[in-house]
Formats: sequence, structure tokens, C-alpha cells
Amino acid sequence: MFRLLLGVAILALAVPAQSAPVARSVVRIEAASVSPNYRAPWNPGSVVGGVGAGFVIAGNRILTNAHVVSNSRFLTVSKEGNPHPFPARVLHVAHDADLAMLTVDDPAFFKGTAALEFGGIPELESTVSVYGYPIGGQRLSVTRGIVSRIDFQTYSHSGMDAHLTIQIDAAINPGNSGGPVLQDGKVVGVAFQGYSGDVAQNVGYMIPTPVVRRFLQDVEDGKYDRYVDLSLSYHSLFNPAARRALGVPDEDHGVLVGTVYPGGSSEGRIQTGDVLLEIDGLPIASDGTIEMDGKSVELAEVVERKFLGDSVRLKVLRNREIIDVEVPSLHPWPFLLHSNAYDENPRYVIFGGLVFQPVDQNFLSAFDPDDLRLRYAFDFFVEDQIFRERPEIVVLSGILADPINAYAADFRMGIVDEINEKKIRTLEDVAAAFDEPADYYVIRMEGPGRPIVLERKAVEEARERIRTRYGISREKNLEK
Amino acid sequence: MILRLLLLVALTGTLTAGTTPGARPSPTPSPTPGLVQSVIRVNSTNQPFDFLRPWMKKAPFPRRGLGAILEGGFVLVTAELVANHNYVELEKPQSAEKSPAEVVRVDYDYNLALLKPSDPEFLKEFRPLPLDSGAKVGDSALVLQLESNGDLAETAARLTSITTSGYPFEGMALLVFRLTAPLQQRDGSFTVPAVRDGRLLGLLMRYDPRAQTADIIPPPVIQHFLAEHARPEFGGIPRAGLAFSGTRDPQLRRFLGLTEPGGVYVTDVLRDGAAAAAGVQPGDVILAVNGQAVDQDGNYADPEFGRIPFSHLTNLKAQTGDTVSFRVFRDGGTIDIPVKLFPRDRSKMLSEPYVMDRAPRFVILGGLVFQELSRPYLMEWGGNWVKDAPQRLVHYDAFQNEVDADRGRIVFLSQVLPTGDSLGYEDLQNLVVTKVNGRTIRSLDDLAAAVREPLEGFHRVEFEEDPHLLFLDAASVEAGREALKAQYSLPVLERL
Repeated sequence: MFRLLLGVAILALAVPAQSAPVARSVVRIEAASVSPNYRAPWNPGSVVGGVGAGFVIAGNRILTNAHVVSNSRFLTVSKEGNPHPFPARVLHVAHDADLAMLTVDDPAFFKGTAALEFGGIPELESTVSVYGYPIGGQRLSVTRGIVSRIDFQTYSHSGMDAHLTIQIDAAINPGNSGGPVLQDGKVVGVAFQGYSGDVAQNVGYMIPTPVVRRFLQDVEDGKYDRYVDLSLSYHSLFNPAARRALGVPDEDHGVLVGTVYPGGSSEGRIQTGDVLLEIDGLPIASDGTIEMDGKSVELAEVVERKFLGDSVRLKVLRNREIIDVEVPSLHPWPFLLHSNAYDENPRYVIFGGLVFQPVDQNFLSAFDPDDLRLRYAFDFFVEDQIFRERPEIVVLSGILADPINAYAADFRMGIVDEINEKKIRTLEDVAAAFDEPADYYVIRMEGPGRPIVLERKAVEEARERIRTRYGISREKNLEK
Repeated sequence: MILRLLLLVALTGTLTAGTTPGARPSPTPSPTPGLVQSVIRVNSTNQPFDFLRPWMKKAPFPRRGLGAILEGGFVLVTAELVANHNYVELEKPQSAEKSPAEVVRVDYDYNLALLKPSDPEFLKEFRPLPLDSGAKVGDSALVLQLESNGDLAETAARLTSITTSGYPFEGMALLVFRLTAPLQQRDGSFTVPAVRDGRLLGLLMRYDPRAQTADIIPPPVIQHFLAEHARPEFGGIPRAGLAFSGTRDPQLRRFLGLTEPGGVYVTDVLRDGAAAAAGVQPGDVILAVNGQAVDQDGNYADPEFGRIPFSHLTNLKAQTGDTVSFRVFRDGGTIDIPVKLFPRDRSKMLSEPYVMDRAPRFVILGGLVFQELSRPYLMEWGGNWVKDAPQRLVHYDAFQNEVDADRGRIVFLSQVLPTGDSLGYEDLQNLVVTKVNGRTIRSLDDLAAAVREPLEGFHRVEFEEDPHLLFLDAASVEAGREALKAQYSLPVLERL
């Protein structure tokens, strides 16, 4: 199995002579990775190979995309013109920014390489060159594109995080993700995602240097802390009646706070109905933008540049009074349920042939369940504060058919509410409930319905039979 | 089941075009004499309301069917044929002579309607069809359709099973007769009568062209409908209002301590239902109804129809106001609970399963369109509405029995017509309203009352979800009413 990772290319050209210094910096990364199998979580999953690009930066480090090295079990890097692969290892990975840092322990590898330096944000319409290994070729390819848009965009690696992104008019093809995008000899971005030809052609995206620099700075203390977030929603304030009703002093400024998410940085500091007027001294326009470095950007960009524990100052209109509010010790968005997760093993508990799993984005991608209760609990987990009752949504995800569970089929994808009258809040609660000795294990699902009843004796009798028949190596895994 | 999500929708329309050439099914060679005098063509022009634009109706469309003539000069058709009718006419098959008709009674639970020609003499040469009784599985029947020249096309059919199955609209499970019959797609397939020995066996409700099975509305349903029609007050179909699950699992039976052979586990009772009012609780095991033992799957042995679900005893075998006795196993003992039956009161439902022949309610305020949740609104998202419609609203509709009893109706902002007053709100849609001008909103009437008292010159609207809050200028909204009507061709700005 061989998988190509996203990259950019329109024309695959042989590397011209004048690119020689860049050729000494770009590396080809091969990853052997194991994708977990959520439908049979006790199995190790299948091994797939992938190819991506990366580039050498100062300090004998290699920068690439997180998705090039995600779930990897063995990594090698090789240099242009030298097919010898060197084993590499991941130093840091930022799944929320799709960036990863690698190193090679063999000092011979960095001999003859040149560390690339970073530039700024390229101008619109300026030309950039993209380096990588599109379509899995062995030789370096270079393509050219024009900077066509600079905007916030969702990073599809996590599916949840949006950061500044630069669009270029070169198609990004599988195979050279993580490759550098250069202008005037300096890195102005890391190629990372594109569109399939069905949606749009000649469109590619790169991670701009503010995001890359933030990553490099974040890991300076030896660990990656993720992006911090205000964890609130805000809305443009164009409506004149709303402005007057709220008493917003002038016509062009202020956004209305909708939801302040529990557990987030702003909880207890900002309220629904507040009007945000300034952030760190920068006036907020009524569409939620601010002026920063001479450019108009989303007010979130202020927070994008902060780190764990930093604070932000807000000027807030509340009950017609202008007050200064400090949001101290910023931290990341507190919920990971809806993000694609990597480098994790599926968690599960099997009891009496019933498979229990917590629901997250990985689970949903594997099963795509139709159950309305489950979909509601997932979709509205944060908004309707379902997490307060259930920090995890645990479902009966599968039934390993056996006489003991012959009548349980209707309960598939049901949310486990109680086991022996103990509320189930996490998968650990499920494991603990089944560890408790009892004559009957009575499992109740959320919503109306009869209980599933398993007799202890029957479970014990069935245990070995189910293990052997279904090849269950372990009956539970509670560790990510 | 109390809550059925996927309605079984219109069916006779599914008689697919074209039968296999050479395999022409078997209309009997010589039409049965007299039968053509007992059926009449019914043309109905229907025009449903547009729930996405509640101030208007959708385009009208015609439906044709073949009604069965009953005693008293009535014509019996399915409710589907005349759902949301504007104009109904009867047409004699042979002469094509027509008469306008009045819908005397329509009920969507029975899926039946009674029509009467406005000319009382119109049907005088016709012969009423008596209602059949005593049909057994294996009996032969005829399904009646019309050739284009007005002659009867009779298709031989066989009664293959008697069971209960979901009716269209709400999906309540009622008795059906299932026939095997190779029917053809013909003009006017909405309402197709079936007869047995010259008596009405039922009206076709659903046809599966691949399996060639036809579900028909059988005599007990028609009988019940006619009996209710004859009563001073039309009660409709009574029901116990409970959901249950079988008890086949021996581990469950041992855990419950069930030693008797049958019984079903009550999983839910409808909050305003008869069973709940009588004290039946989730977790009870129903052992018998009116002395008839209920088996592990919920069937009893009906002397006429064999093993069918016990719900038949609480709906078609009973009338509103009747009391049936439930023998219930609870806490290791057995008790008898008398349940006084009544139909479901839809006006108390959080989201009605269907809204027919009446307009959806709405209030438009400065371009903001407010409506009350009903399933027809969600069904505007098409066949896959359960996944495609706004999920918060789908959730309210599906799990309405679990919402707080005093929640009232779900009032929501369905869309925003851009105006000066709604500037900046254009993208808001399908947001559930909690308060207007500080008052809790449990119905559109509450909303209409609340907007009469703005707060300091503003209407303050609060939602369950983002953006949680918006304001309108009360004076400007009031002054702009006529302009708004003109701008979007709205006949009225509210319908309560």
C-alpha cells in the first residue's frame, strides 16, 4: 500500500541548475503509518505507506506537515540526489496547524544541507515557487504559482481549526505536502492542501509564515501547547435598531457576543449580549475586523498570535457602560470531540459480545450512524452543554453475535445511560460497572426502551467463546 | 410506536408505469355485471400550503381516483385523494357526466373521506356497495380500475395476509389486508376499490409493484370511520398511547421475574395519552388486554383475523370513551388497570405530524418570519428530511414526548425577508425563540401578544441558540408594514 500526501504541482519540471541551493534543503519523507480501525477497535489496523516533502531549517531540524507524519510508526527522509534513506523521528507535532518538526539522529544526514530562512507574507499577485514530490516521484519537482488570496480557512487535517491561509493558483496534488514555498530565496509558506479537480482546478493552499513562526515559538519550551482561543462566538452589528437598543456609541464599531462557551478562556469574563469594542487597544469594526500591520483581518488574528497563559484586553459595552475586561490565561478550545484525532488508539470495552465505544469525529467517520439521538448528542455536545451530563457519549457500537446477546440488535448505536443504575459519564464508567460483581448487568440506553439484561453466569460462559470466535486480543482499551 | 419518524407517504401514486409486455395481467374477460354501477370516478384538485412560505399555497395539481358508492348516497375515497382539496368533482365512468362534490368528512388517521355530490339525483342510477365481512386469508378478490373508455378493468387478487401496518400521514399502525394483485398503472390510481363477491373489501392504500402486493384499508377501519361519522361528535380512532418492546429475551424475562409465557414491556407512555392517565407506567409488562392474552411479541389471537397486535383492541375494537382492561405485571405482582380510551389531542402536541386543509400559522415582524414547528415544515426538505432539515427542529419533533410538559409549542424564526428593519439579520434562519420583549414564548399567540408591548421602543427577541439576541425598532416595524407587504407581495403579515 502506498499513499500520496497532499502537495502542489502543475508542471513537474526537472530541477534547474539555479535551484541547487533549494535542492539541498528539500527532503523527501516516507512514512509507514498505521490507521486505527474503529470498526474493529481490538485490531491493530492496516499499515499504509506515504510520501511527502519537508525542508531543513536551522538547528538540524526538518519542517513538514502534521498529516505527513500522523499515525506514523516508521519515518525515513532522503535528500535530493542521494537515495539513501535516513530514519527520522518526530520532535513536535501541531495537529491544529498541520505542522510537524522532525530530526534525524545520524549527523551525516545534515552534512551538505542548507537551512532555509523564513520571509513574510507575500504580496497578492506575486509569484512563488513550490518544491516537493507530487504524485510520488523520486526527484524533486518545482512549480510556480501566483498568490491569489489571503484569508482564514479551515485546516482540513483537524477539520476544526481555521487559521490564516494563502491561496495560490497552482493545483496542489498528493505527494508534496510539507514542501517549502519560496519567494526571493526565503520560505513564505508550507504547501499543505488543495482541492480535488472536481471542485476547483489550479487552486492550492499554503500555511503562511505567521502560523509557522507561532509553531516554532510555541515549541521553544520543549512542548507544543496548541492554539489558544477566546471560546466565544460574535456577530456583526450592522442593524441600527440593535445598535441603538444596546447603546453602541458610534456607527462603525462593535460586535455582539452570542455564546460564551463553558470551560473556555472567556467564561466568567464575557457575557452573552456584550458588545466587544476593542481588542488589545485595536478598534473592532462592526463586521468583526481589525486593522493589523496595515491589513484588515479578523479580530481572532490577535488571539492567533498569543500563547498558552497569555492574556488579552477587551473594551466591552455591557448594560450601556463601557468597561475594560481582561481575559487572563488564555487556553485552547476545551473540546476535542469534533476534531479529527491522530496518533491515538481507539478506546473500547467489550462485555458479553457487546462493544462499547466513546463517540468522536474518528468514530463518526468510521460509522456514519443515522441514529437521531446520537447525531444530536454529537452535533449539540457543546452548544446544548451535553458534556455536563456526559463528558463522553458512550454508545453500543457493535454486537459480536452470540446466543447471549441475541436480542440486543435493536440497541445498536444507542447511547448508554446507566449500567446497574450507575450513570455512565465516560467509557471508564462502563468498564467499572462491568467490573462490579452482580447477578444481572442491566444496561439502559438514553430515551425510552427496555433494558438489555446480561446474566453474569451467561457472560462468563460466553467469554472465551466470543474471544476465540472473533479473535479479540484484548477485551478493553481505555488508553488513547 | 408513538413516535414514527419516517412517514409512509403517498402510495397509490407508486403504481409504476408499464407492465411487462406479453405478461398482461388478468383482468377477467367479462366484467362482473353491476359492479360498474357501484363505482364512480373522482377528480380532485388539491393545493397544499407552502410551509416554507406560509403566506401562500403551492401550485395546484389534480388527482384522480375511483370512489366506492355507499348506502346513503356517499362516495368513499382515501383521504390522500382529497388532501388539501380546492375542488372535487364526480364523473360517471360511461357518460363522463360530472357533478361537483362536497367533502362531507375527511380523516387522515383512517385515511378515508366521504363525499357527496351537490346534485342529490346524480347517483340515483347507481347501486351502493355493501361492506364485506368475514374475509379470510386465501380468499379471492377483485381490484377495480377503469379503462380509458369507462369500462371496468378488474384484476384478480388474493388476500395473502392480515396484519397491522403504518398508515400514511402519522404512521399509526392499523389493520390492513394485504392482497397479491398484478395491477397496472392507470389514469386515476389514487383510490382503487377492491371487492369480494360484490361487496366492498377495502380501498387500496399502498402498492408495491415489484412484489405485486397491495395494502388495502379493510372493512373494520371503514366500519369504524362510518360509525364515528354517524355519532353526534366525531371521535376518531381511540388509542392507548403507549410504546412497547417484546420480551423474547430469556435473560430479560428472568430479570423481570416473568413466569407467565407472554407479555410485552412498556417502554414509553404518551404524556397526554389514555394509558398514562390510567396509571400505566414504563417498565410495566402487559399480559392481557380485555382478557385476551398478549404474547411475547404483542400479538393476541383475534377470532376473526388470527394473531395480530393487541393495539387492534384499543383502537378499532373500541370507541372513544370505552374502557379496556390492561392486566399488568409490576413489581412481581399482577394488577388490572382500566384504561379509558380517547384519541390523541393534536392541539397539545409540540409538533403536529401533519397539517391538512388548514393554513400554517405565522407572524411576520419587520421581515422576520416566525412559525410554529410542525412535521410538514421539516418535510419541505424532501425525502431525506430527517438528515437534511435543521437538526435542532428535527430533534424537537422526534423527541417531543421528552420535552418539558409546559414547554408549549416551538416557535422559531424560519427566515428573514431583507428589509431596512432586518438589516444584518438576513442570514438567520430556523432559530428557536425563547422570549420576546421579556415574555416567555409558548405559542405564536404569545409572540403576537408580546410584540404589542415593546421595551423602550424596541422589540427584543431571544433565541435558544446563536446569536441569542436581536432587536427591532418597534415604531419603524409598525410604520413599514404596508411597504413590507408590497415589497414581498404578502397578502397578510400574520395568520393566527
